[in-house]
This record gives sequence, C-alpha cells and structure tokens, in this order.
Amino acid sequence: MRFTSWQSSPTEEKVIRSILKGFDTKHPETPYLYQPIPGNYSEKIQLMLGTGTAPDLFWLKGYTSPSYLSFNVLKELDDYIASDASFDNEDFFPVFRNAFFKDGKCYGIAKDFNVYVLFYNSEMFEEAGLEEPPADWEELYTYSKQLTKDTDGDGKVDQYGLVIEPVHEMLMPFVFQNGGQFHDEAGNLGLTKPAFIEATEFYLKLYKDGVATIPTDVGAGWNGDVMGRQQAAMAISGAWAIPYFKENYPEMKYKVAVLPKGKQAATLAFSTAFVIAKEAPYPDDAWKLLSYMAGKEGMAEWTQSGIALPTRKSVAEENKFYEHPIYGTFMESVEFAHLYQIKFMERWSDEMSATMQAFFYRDAPVKESLQKLEEKISKYKLK
Amino acid sequence: MDKLKIIAFYSVLLAFTALYLGPFLFSISISFNADKDVFEWPIEFFPSNATVDNYIAVWEELPFSTWLFNSVFITLIQTVTNIFFSALAGFAFARLSFKGKNFIFNLLLSSLMIPGIILLVPKFIVLNEFGLINSYAGIILPGLVGITNIFLMKQFFETIPKDLDEAALIDGCSYFKMFWKIFLPISKPALAAVAIYTFQGSWNEFLWPVIVTVSEDMYTLPLGMASLRSELLTDWPLLMAGTILISLPTLAIFIYFQKYFVQGVASSGLKG
Amino acid sequence: MKLRFSSVKQEQQVWAMIFLFAPLLLLGIFVFFPIVFAFVVSFYDWNLLIPDKPFVGLANYSELFKDEVFIISIKNTIIYTIGVVPTQTFAALFLAFIMNQKIKGRTFFRIAFYIPAITSSVVTSIIFVWIYSKPGLLNYLLAGIGIDAQIDWLTNPNTVLPSIMMLNIWTTSGFFMVSFLAGLQSIPQSLYEAAKIDGANSWQQFWNITVPMVRPITFFVMVMSLIGCFQVFDQIFIMSSGGPDNASTTMSFFVYQNSFKYFKFGFGAASAVVLACIIFASTYLQKKYFPSEAY
Repeated sequence: MRFTSWQSSPTEEKVIRSILKGFDTKHPETPYLYQPIPGNYSEKIQLMLGTGTAPDLFWLKGYTSPSYLSFNVLKELDDYIASDASFDNEDFFPVFRNAFFKDGKCYGIAKDFNVYVLFYNSEMFEEAGLEEPPADWEELYTYSKQLTKDTDGDGKVDQYGLVIEPVHEMLMPFVFQNGGQFHDEAGNLGLTKPAFIEATEFYLKLYKDGVATIPTDVGAGWNGDVMGRQQAAMAISGAWAIPYFKENYPEMKYKVAVLPKGKQAATLAFSTAFVIAKEAPYPDDAWKLLSYMAGKEGMAEWTQSGIALPTRKSVAEENKFYEHPIYGTFMESVEFAHLYQIKFMERWSDEMSATMQAFFYRDAPVKESLQKLEEKISKYKLK
Repeated sequence: MDKLKIIAFYSVLLAFTALYLGPFLFSISISFNADKDVFEWPIEFFPSNATVDNYIAVWEELPFSTWLFNSVFITLIQTVTNIFFSALAGFAFARLSFKGKNFIFNLLLSSLMIPGIILLVPKFIVLNEFGLINSYAGIILPGLVGITNIFLMKQFFETIPKDLDEAALIDGCSYFKMFWKIFLPISKPALAAVAIYTFQGSWNEFLWPVIVTVSEDMYTLPLGMASLRSELLTDWPLLMAGTILISLPTLAIFIYFQKYFVQGVASSGLKG
Repeated sequence: MKLRFSSVKQEQQVWAMIFLFAPLLLLGIFVFFPIVFAFVVSFYDWNLLIPDKPFVGLANYSELFKDEVFIISIKNTIIYTIGVVPTQTFAALFLAFIMNQKIKGRTFFRIAFYIPAITSSVVTSIIFVWIYSKPGLLNYLLAGIGIDAQIDWLTNPNTVLPSIMMLNIWTTSGFFMVSFLAGLQSIPQSLYEAAKIDGANSWQQFWNITVPMVRPITFFVMVMSLIGCFQVFDQIFIMSSGGPDNASTTMSFFVYQNSFKYFKFGFGAASAVVLACIIFASTYLQKKYFPSEAY
C-alpha cells in the first residue's frame, strides 16, 4: 500500500512521519510506503492516476476536487465509513463532512482545514497608535495607509501597511464579503456581477495606491516572508504562517484577527481531503491508515503542529482550539468561511491566474478583463 | 598592434569574460554566505561570515544523494550505450554496403529536423503502455542512441583509409572483429566527443525527466533542484550551493577534455 | 563466431543488419513511430484520465486556432526567435573572432565563454532568477550607472520575455562560438595578410573576410539556433511558468501545459504538430533565402 502527500515544508514532513510512527505501533500488521511529492502535486497525481501508478491513499486539494470527482477515479467511501465504528463521521463539522460529495456519495475525508485571517504586527500597530485591527474595508484601507512609511528616510517606502498576493485565492474572500461568488450552485459564473467587479477593484486599489505591496516587489517568496522581514504590517494568510514565523522570525510580535468585513463577514476555507484511488490495490489497508490519520488521534497530532486546523469538533474542543488566542480566530472564521471548489476543468485556474497577473502587472481594465475571462472559462465547465 | 589598441582589445575581452563568468562567481559567493538575506547591497563578494554550512545542508536536508545517484546512473548508461550504438551504426553506414542504405540514412537525416517536442506525447503513451512511467527504464530508454552521434561516428569512420579494411579482410577478420579490434581503438577522439556530448546532454536533460518522473525518488539532479526552486524560494544560499554542485562534473569534464569538445563541434558543425 | 557467406555483398548485408538492429529498433520506437503517432493522436480527443478516446477529425486544430493563449504563444515564440537567433549568431561570431586573435591565455577565455553553454539550464535559470529579481544584481548594476529601474524583470509582462531571451543568448553564444572558431581556423591566413597590405583595419577584415568565409557555418548555426529557440522550454518552466498573464508562454510551454498539465493529449499533440510545421517552414525559408553555398 502506498500513501502520498505533498510536502511544503520540512516541519510538515516531520509531523507526518511522526503520525505514521503512531500508526505503526497501533497497526504493525499493515505495511505501507510513504512517498511525498515536492512540486507540481496535482499534475503528478493526475499523471499517476492516468498511468495506473497512483498511490492507494493520497491527499487531494479541495479546489481541484470537483474535476477529480468528475473523472471518476476515486473510491466511494460510504461503506468504509459505515463499517468503521471507531471513525465517528458525525464528529466532523458539517461544512467539511459534506465537502467531497458527488451525487450524494462521499469520496473524500477532510483531513484539516485552513482559512484566511489577518496577521498583524502588534509593535507596528502600537507605534502607529492603532489599538484594534481593521474591522472593515474602509479601516483596512486607512490603516494600511497609516502604516505605510519610509522608516529610514531615503525617500523610498520600506514598510507597507499590507502585503497581498496577486493570486485568485486571496481575492476571493473580498468577493464573498461583497456578496459575490465564483459560480452558483448550478455552475453559472459570477465573475461579471457588480459584486465581483467591485471587490476586485478594491483589492487592486490597495496595491495601486501604494498602501499594500506584493512579495515579488520586495524580492520575497510569499506574504509571510514579507511580514517577517518587517516590510509589511499586515498580511492575509492561513495558519501555515504560524510555524513559519516561529521558525524564521521568532522575535516578531504579531496577532491575528478575522478578516475585515465588507458587506458581510466572509473568508475562504481551504480543505484538503484524504482520498483512495478507485483502482487502489489495497483499499482496505488504505482506509485503515486514513481512519487513523483522520481519526481523533491522528488529527490531534497533526493539528497540534499548528499548520492546519481540525475538522473534528471533538479535536477542536479537547485541544482548546476555541480558547487559543491565535487559533480561536481561525475557529471563529469557520462560521462565515466559504469552501473553494470550482466545478470547472483545471484550466480555469491558469486562466484566472493570468487575469490576476494582468491586473497587477499590466493594469488591465477590471470589467473588460473579467468579462473576457468569464467567456473563456465557461468553456471548461465540468459535465 | 600599438599599445593602446592592445589595451582596448584586452579590456573588451575582460569585459566579456566578466559577463560570462560573473553570474557564476556571484552564485559561488552566495553559496558560501551564512547570511540568508542575499539582497543586502552592496553584497559582500567575499562573505565575511563565510561558511560551508549550505553545502552540508544540501547533503543533509535534501534528498541530494538520491538525485545524485539517479543522475549518475542514468548518465553513465546513456553514455556507454550511445558510444557503442553510434559506433556500430556509424560503422555500418560508413563501411558496409547494404540494401536500403541510402533510404535509411536519409530517413535519419530528415528526422534530425523533427523538433523533439512533437515526440513527447507519443513517447509518453508508448512508455505508459509498457508501464514504464516513473521508472529508470522510462527515463533512459528514449536516450540510448542519438542520431547526431551516429553521424559523428559515420563521418569519422569515413576519414579512415579503405586499405585498412582490406588488409583486415585478407587476414580473415569478420566485420565485427574488424570493427572491434581495428576501428574502435583508433577512434578515440570521435568516441570521446560522443561520450562528452552525451554525458553533458543527459546530465543536464530536463524536459524528458519532468514528464516521465512522478515521485521524488526518481528525480535527477536538475529536476530536483528545479522542484526546490519554489519550495526554497528564499533560501538562496542553499539553492546556489546545490546549483554549484550540479555544475561541477560537467565543468571538470569539459576542462579536462576540451580539445575533444572543440573537435566534436567542428566535425559535426562543418557538414551535417 | 564463424559465418559462411556466398559473397562479400551478402556478408556485408548480414553484418549491416546485425550492426543496425539495436540502434534502428530504438530509433524506430522512440523517433520514427512517435512522429507518425503524433499525427494520429492529434485527431483524437485523447485524455489520459478518460478511457473513451473518440475520433474528432480536425476539431483539435480548429479549437487550437480559436485558443487565445495558443495565438499568444505563437507570437511570443516568434518574437523570441527573431530576437535571439541573429543576436546569438553575431555574438558567437564576434567571440570567435576575438578568440582567433593572437591572445595570451586563450584556453582560459575559451573556457570562460563556453561555461554557460555546458551548464545545466536549471542552474543558469536559478542564478538568473536571482539576478533579475527586484532587489537583485541587475537592478543594482543599473542603479550604479544611474538608472533606477526598480523592475522585477520576471514578473513584468514587458520585460519577462526579453529577460529570458538575454539569458538564452548568454548561454548558447559560447557554444556556437566554438563552431565558428573551427571555421575561422580554416580560413587561409594569406587572405588576412593580403587585406592588411591593402590597408584594411581589423573591423574591415572581420566584415569583408571573416563573415563571408564562415557563411556555411553561419547557416548551420542559425538553423540550430532557430530550432532551439522555437522549442525553448526549460527556462520558461523554471523562471516564469509562462507568466505573467501568458507574457512568456511559448509554444513548447503551451504543448507541455496542455499535454501534461491538463492531459489533453490530442490537443497537445495537435499544437506540437503546428509547431513542427512552423519550424520546418522557417528552416526551409532560411535555406531558400540564405543559401549556405553563396560564396
């Protein structure tokens, strides 16, 4: 039996290996091979599925899940869930329990979740005389402006109020907050609705007005990097920034808050699933490992690493996630979090990324570009 | 030439040298830098806090040794088979007469014009049919013999005087024996050129391994380093240390065998 | 091993078959068959993950020319090739000309110019990502001569392609320099001496003797360079992934993405066939309008 995950940091791999050790002591009779994939995960998994070399058990990124479900390459899990007494499916938060369904059948177990929240540097806030994090769009803008400054007096800004990334995932919370959506239940795209356009315009305004920066502008790899280097006072990120800060910038004092709201509070939820390949040679063993890793024990250990949050109510409660000064904010965000699962063929994501890049690097007109994008993407709707 | 001209000439030469070597020198400098922020200008070209930690980290924190093994294994096999097969085929085209010789030769010649990109999908489908995706065989098989190498060998064998075969045949040699005992030993320069080209090509090959490998344990060095590009985006010293290590074998071989390099380019370049 | 043959001719025939068996088998499987098969696949809706592979005739081709990204990729590839091929050829010839002078330390300089060519594209790409980044070496040097560029060269749609083109010129000019060098050494020294007597300076010698004498090599270099440029992939894959906003999506990158990211093999194969046709056509044109035997 083979198990595959991606690997975005050494910390992550360490935790996985430690959980696997726990599984080994509990189920020494079940041998398996763990093969992480470092880059281009989705492509590689598809490649393996298509060439009959897929692992039995693997992680599936939430936003690509609809296309996998439509390709019919995953094993249906309902029977396993029903016959595994220790699994306790009811323990999952409903939004995640039902996240990987097609035609009323379950194909994936949400192993954890993440939401975008606002990270802010409390020292910079203090220095600027700001007490609370921004609560709405207006405050986000004015605070960012206030926090943007030239600290060494050389005429160049070296501390920005906010750092954002020119990627569609990070735009989406603003769209949801503004009452828009990518597509509705029936799959009708909402990219040209005023709510979507307005949100995009606001997101871009932050950058164009110079109160927010993007990582490449300061030679950084991503948001957390920029904030850690003291080049931005606020960053939108998921929980993966927490272990990163701890390891690389332990001195930085920061806090987290729910994202500032627009017309309504909203954020984007990422959820990764455990899935079993339809053609898996050892599906029973795969389920055993799944049941352990996504079980109470495995999930508790995994989420204690601070990379992601538990999708099980019991794990969240027992490990005091709600009371935690940082993780509490993430749990709070679940209330208004939207899952990101797009029911289009994968090329939508590249088309959307290209458009985001055009906004940031080419000053492309928002409305026209989104109209063009909607036309292009509509071709890739999944049947 | 007068003095001024000489000075001008050498300044141009040195400017070009700086242009061609500069990026590598910076990369070496960064690879020894203990400071992870490599954008503090002016950068210290000779880092005051020089360290070899980055090189140690490459070995210890990355699956570098696995990738190194894969690269060495794949490169060696392809180099040896290319030498052997291209010599065999080159000998047949240069020294034997057989039916369809011109046809086959022209087929080879025209397929040289086929861009490799068109072969990707079909090669992939073929290897998938054999279940060879993500295996050593899948990476190695398509590169066991190269048409350019066959030409190089054919051209070389054609420069050897005809008397040699006749003498050998009178002595009762078979064609294989003649090839093995007489032609190969005197073909060292051409064989070396084939070897060096194949070595360099397969050591640096990127596109095909990207397509045919899936799991990290099958990656070659270039592929592994490229996959780290996104992961270690900010750890430039580590990335640079890795890139320096990858470059060393080709560099050493080139410096050592450079006259064969030049001969190879010259003979393959003059007449196709 | 002793074999008996009725004639020398037959003997050679048998030996040729033995000698060529393995090489031709391999080339058959991995070159000749795939060429034909690429055309076949391009007429099917062939998706890796979907077992049903219907014949669609020319649908992939017609879809291809309606695909905006494909059109952009053709445009980018042509810009790339037109920008790189002549510059690279000229740079290579110029370097070779310098190297052919009586200079001290010739071996050292030859190695220096050749190193980029023998180094893995992954290595040079990674180094240049650093150089081209906003706080990187290039902007620093530009600032040194008074240009405050403040550009992130690889995420700016106007600079990304030229930046990668520069990298390509830098890496391969040394390779082609060696081709030229071999040709230069075969030019009779007497020609230069005659020119000197006529009072020609170095530049005139370069332009009036060297350039025409190496014309066959120039043809070879340009064809090789052109074929390489049309297929540029590694640098794009590593440095820009075709972005931003497809500003650096080349045809081979388009082929790769559609074949091995979206797994639309039929569509990918069709785009590869179109690319191959463009390469054929341009080498043909080059042969026609730039014959190598003109002098």
